[in-house]
Amino acid sequence: MTTTEGKRATYKQRYEEADDGLRFQELTYTGNFVGMEPVTDGIKGDKTMKARAKSTVLERVSKDDVLRDDFTIDELNDLNNYLAWNIWDVLVMRATEGVSGMIPRQEYEILAFMHEFYRWPELLRMTTDEIGAQGVMDIGASARREIGTKVNSVHDWAIGAVGFGMGRCGLLALEAIGADDYVGESNDILKFMQRVLWGKRQDGYLLNSQDRYRCRIHEQDFLDQLVGQVEPLEPGSPKHGAFTQFNAAAELLSFLDHYDCRLGLGDTGPYELPDGNILILRDLFVNEEVFHWSDVCEDAKLPHCYSLALVIDPEKMGLNEIRVNDISTTFTRPKNYIDAIVGGAVFAREKWDTPMGEVYPIKIDDLAEHLGRVQTATLKLYTKTSKMCRRDLIWNGQYVYYVDMILPHLRRAGTYDKACRDYDLWEVDQRVANYYYDITKRGFAQETVPSKIFSGAGYLPFSDKASLRNSKGRWL
Amino acid sequence: MAEVLAEGFNVFDTGKSPSGTVKYLSSPADVISLIQSGKLSEHILLVQGGTTTFLAPALSMGAIGVITMSGAPESHLGILSREFQTPCVMTAHLTTSESRYVVGATDSAHFEEIAKELDGRQVRLDCTDHEVGRVVADD
Repeated sequence: MTTTEGKRATYKQRYEEADDGLRFQELTYTGNFVGMEPVTDGIKGDKTMKARAKSTVLERVSKDDVLRDDFTIDELNDLNNYLAWNIWDVLVMRATEGVSGMIPRQEYEILAFMHEFYRWPELLRMTTDEIGAQGVMDIGASARREIGTKVNSVHDWAIGAVGFGMGRCGLLALEAIGADDYVGESNDILKFMQRVLWGKRQDGYLLNSQDRYRCRIHEQDFLDQLVGQVEPLEPGSPKHGAFTQFNAAAELLSFLDHYDCRLGLGDTGPYELPDGNILILRDLFVNEEVFHWSDVCEDAKLPHCYSLALVIDPEKMGLNEIRVNDISTTFTRPKNYIDAIVGGAVFAREKWDTPMGEVYPIKIDDLAEHLGRVQTATLKLYTKTSKMCRRDLIWNGQYVYYVDMILPHLRRAGTYDKACRDYDLWEVDQRVANYYYDITKRGFAQETVPSKIFSGAGYLPFSDKASLRNSKGRWL
Repeated sequence: MAEVLAEGFNVFDTGKSPSGTVKYLSSPADVISLIQSGKLSEHILLVQGGTTTFLAPALSMGAIGVITMSGAPESHLGILSREFQTPCVMTAHLTTSESRYVVGATDSAHFEEIAKELDGRQVRLDCTDHEVGRVVADD
């Protein structure tokens, strides 16, 4: 370590009731609370947003609450405001990254946001009709005893935060819809999200930010089996280097296979271990079979997912705060946790539906061969991607969001094939197709999207006049 | 005291202080060409964006240091450089210039000025500070 030697870990103070957490950024959030005290990031921001809610939907909610068919307008507005803050909290700094030079991400993102808002309600309603509200909650619960599953924070969060929040925000910015349009459809999306997340967490909260950035979903006996495979690692040793190098290389490919987005990565934790160390479980989805470009990963004989157990010594790094945020990513203060990794394990899940009993561990001494395969696939996928035209890159990326964000839920519900066959999942809706030409005009993707969607400025509330039954009655 | 040419966000604090010749990469072909040259480890890589995919093979094959002209530690490239333990200075600006990167409001002249000033310079990255990463002249 460099500048943290000798500093004591204080991260447990973050879990004390009165603690407001650290600030990870200097920016503040306003959203729909113009004229009020600006909202901070982190634990303090979560407290402020909960305090400003008109309903109790942001508190711990009961199973009966979740099984109810509809939210009230106040509940919809509270969720809209909270998700807008949460999006700002996790993405406002990421959104400074500018051009990709490779994949036009802002462009594909905004198309996907709008496509999702238009198309997902029907798909999620169909799925709920097929398996029932309890069945949707059971999808979430399935994640409690699995690794290598895309029923995870970022996918579950995306249903509401992206499909409803960003999709509605983008369409409002384009003036394609009004604030009181699509209330019923908004309810369909948000209820689905609430049921999955509640079923997964089972503590009454929906989001990690509501629980001081913890995603401790796994049952103890399941965790114990994974921890039993952990090998000790001495920072600076070749074995430590092999583990961290593999972690980085597989994470990189998971980003690339998912078109530079966070859907390839899934962290849970932090889980406190009996010896005082903490555990992060990380899924790295390096081969998603529904993407045609993933053939290079298939050729390299890569599994659907590598799952890593990372054991971190909080004292070694003087850990002050650790966040597993709602897009499944771990951030710490101090920022560098790699040198504090003192144990690790790697598992492979060959296909998305491989039974847990067939998920197998890989010894760290055997990782070199897997690393070679990951690097080969990375170079081939990069070369392949670099030859694609802009239109292909944008629509491929659009599909990564629009399909993959609900793919795990449809797969688990058994409705994915029906969505493809009967609902034309892999088509582009006419309402969105022409936006392809609009999004590059007047800086919409490069300027409007960051200013409206990632800053939280464009999430208009539903008005007092909105009806829960509202769809869109007129196109004028 | 060595001359600080540019400063930006430090992605993670580290005692590593890589040095090399700055290589500005403007296209995927530049990235592939550099890897095929076998000289990846001689260069500090300079790129405009803060996304991961553009530099993917360079990171995977052992880039020693990265400078970006946009993005933050929370950006994908920031996350991956932390995981690779590749020192990285993001949204770097020249210490001799008033020009700063602002999302959606920065024209190409800003990026061209930085690329022109740094490309080909022998530099060292200083990433010991919690927040500020520095590009130091190492001529």
